[in-house]
Amino acid sequence: MNALVKVENLTKTFGKITALKGINFQAHKGEIFGLLGPNGAGKTTAIRVIATVLTPTTGSAVVAGFDICNQPVEVRKNIGVLTTETGVYERFTGRENLKYFGELFNIPRDQLTNRLNELIELFKMNEFIDRRAGEYSTGMKQKLAIARSIIHDPQIIIFDEPTAGLDVLASQTVLNFMRQARELGKCVILSTHRLSDAERLCDRAAIIHQGKIVGVDEISRLMEISGTNNLEDAFLQLIKNRPLDEET
Amino acid sequence: MKEILIIWKKELKDTLRDRRTLIAMIVMPMLLMPLLTVGMTKLMEQQYRNAEKETVQIAVLSDGVDQNLTALLEQNNLKIIEVGGDITEAINNDLVSAALYFPTDLKESLNRQEKVEVKIMRKSTDLQSSSALNRITSSINIYNNLVINQRFDKEGINPKILTGLTIVTEDISTQQEREGFGLGFILPMFIVMWSIIGGQYTAIDASAGEKERKTLEALLLTPVSRLKLVIGKFLSVATAGLTTIVISITSLYITIRYFGFGSFDQIGAEAAKTAETTISLTLPPQALLLLLLISSLLVLTFSAVLLSLGIFARSFKEAQSYISPAYLVVILPVVFVNSLPGFKPTLWFFCLPAVNAVLLFKEILVGTYDLGHIVVTIVSLTIYMVITLFITGKIYSKETILFKG
Repeated sequence: MNALVKVENLTKTFGKITALKGINFQAHKGEIFGLLGPNGAGKTTAIRVIATVLTPTTGSAVVAGFDICNQPVEVRKNIGVLTTETGVYERFTGRENLKYFGELFNIPRDQLTNRLNELIELFKMNEFIDRRAGEYSTGMKQKLAIARSIIHDPQIIIFDEPTAGLDVLASQTVLNFMRQARELGKCVILSTHRLSDAERLCDRAAIIHQGKIVGVDEISRLMEISGTNNLEDAFLQLIKNRPLDEET
Repeated sequence: MKEILIIWKKELKDTLRDRRTLIAMIVMPMLLMPLLTVGMTKLMEQQYRNAEKETVQIAVLSDGVDQNLTALLEQNNLKIIEVGGDITEAINNDLVSAALYFPTDLKESLNRQEKVEVKIMRKSTDLQSSSALNRITSSINIYNNLVINQRFDKEGINPKILTGLTIVTEDISTQQEREGFGLGFILPMFIVMWSIIGGQYTAIDASAGEKERKTLEALLLTPVSRLKLVIGKFLSVATAGLTTIVISITSLYITIRYFGFGSFDQIGAEAAKTAETTISLTLPPQALLLLLLISSLLVLTFSAVLLSLGIFARSFKEAQSYISPAYLVVILPVVFVNSLPGFKPTLWFFCLPAVNAVLLFKEILVGTYDLGHIVVTIVSLTIYMVITLFITGKIYSKETILFKG
């Protein structure tokens, strides 16, 4: 399979705290890869390092064939990241918000107009897109942030807790979008602590706990290894096998 | 370059949509400069006139005072009133501003051609009391001359032989210099202040604002390099600051053209004269240009400082609490230098940021163009600008600062 994201021995320390303790995984073209773990496990840090917002302490990653340390700009061009920081410019309309980021990604003007319309249609934002974002509900802002993160139609899409703050209907739209992206041959990484979403969507997953990966495999294999019949139990089983201070 | 322009445009558009920023950037300098200039001039004039006209009450403690002396005291707007009880208490309670003691046999002693001691009791910490002392002293000096003249008359000597030298003063400062002196006190202070205030809100919005709104990370995820990001933001802050500077200088210039500008510094008989006539001050175009050039350099330096301070904060409020003390750091030396009487700056003063601008603005306003001072100011401000901009660039590439909190 064609690995679009290759993570090798990635560590990240902040002062005395080690947030990532040498993680390894690969995510492929045409799959939804889960990055699963409780809050504070290191998921967001891992994403930030892969997306070149943070620099790794040791180790490296290759994204769409580009090294995160040596070719960060190329990496950012090929990756669309929705972080948990989903703020928008409140004095701008939704459309202006999207346009600004489209311009920063250097998308030609007429192409950008088409892309904007496509995304507005996709996430059903017609009604509010020309109102100032300060008036938006949490759900509207979240949709706008998602659209913003994929404005440049990247090969690799990383969503960090994308359904947080969304109601059931809006969540469905986002989950469907991820499925659609998989069909289009993109590499989708879903980072979440909502295991029910992951179980329904992901092809493979890495379970991350205290900065370490405690299991990477197909969802069905993870359940098989841990001798359980749902992802939540598998998750608890895998974490249990790794007592809190085993590595330290 | 294109990315820098995109960021610059976005930040300015954001600024223009924020009412709070617009008020600080455009409305305040436009209105406050004329209001302050005209208002302060009028207030000073009125205060001065009031002080001149105001009668100050004093107590005279002795019997049989010479009518000539009382008349002299009254000519100096001193009113003699009777005070019963403790005189110290009366001065402390503002019943009288000062008290005058004569020996009871004043007239007799003077007639015997003796030296008579007059005692004045006053409170030096009370402004009105000091004014009373001056008036009493001048009255007594005149009275003393009268006494001397009488004594010489008695002896048949011309009193003029007492006068060896007399002093005649002539003020050679031009009208422009006198006006510039008044202006020079207040105008540079404001220009320095506006060069901070103008870009302040844009700077906070572009730094701490990105953190507070949680938009910073999305921005860092674009292919635009952090250096370009900082330059774009820096240029937008500078544009806001420059707008304010141009507006405030223009507004002040127009005010002076149409309303004149009184002289604040000369308190004395001359000030009364100048205060009554409206002065039409003209700043030559080259002075305006120099003023703009130097304040632009100041704005650029401050823009980088503001942007650096702002990114350390997590919220708008926090950023404001970082920036407020920065005002003091800039304004205090300026106030200090401004308030030193007869202060003549040496060349190295023109190396101090903000202080150099104030000193140079003062010179420009009195029509002095010292090439050395101008060059040192421009060169040093340019160096400060480059240094602060470099530091800002460094700060924005530090992930611990960007992701603090």
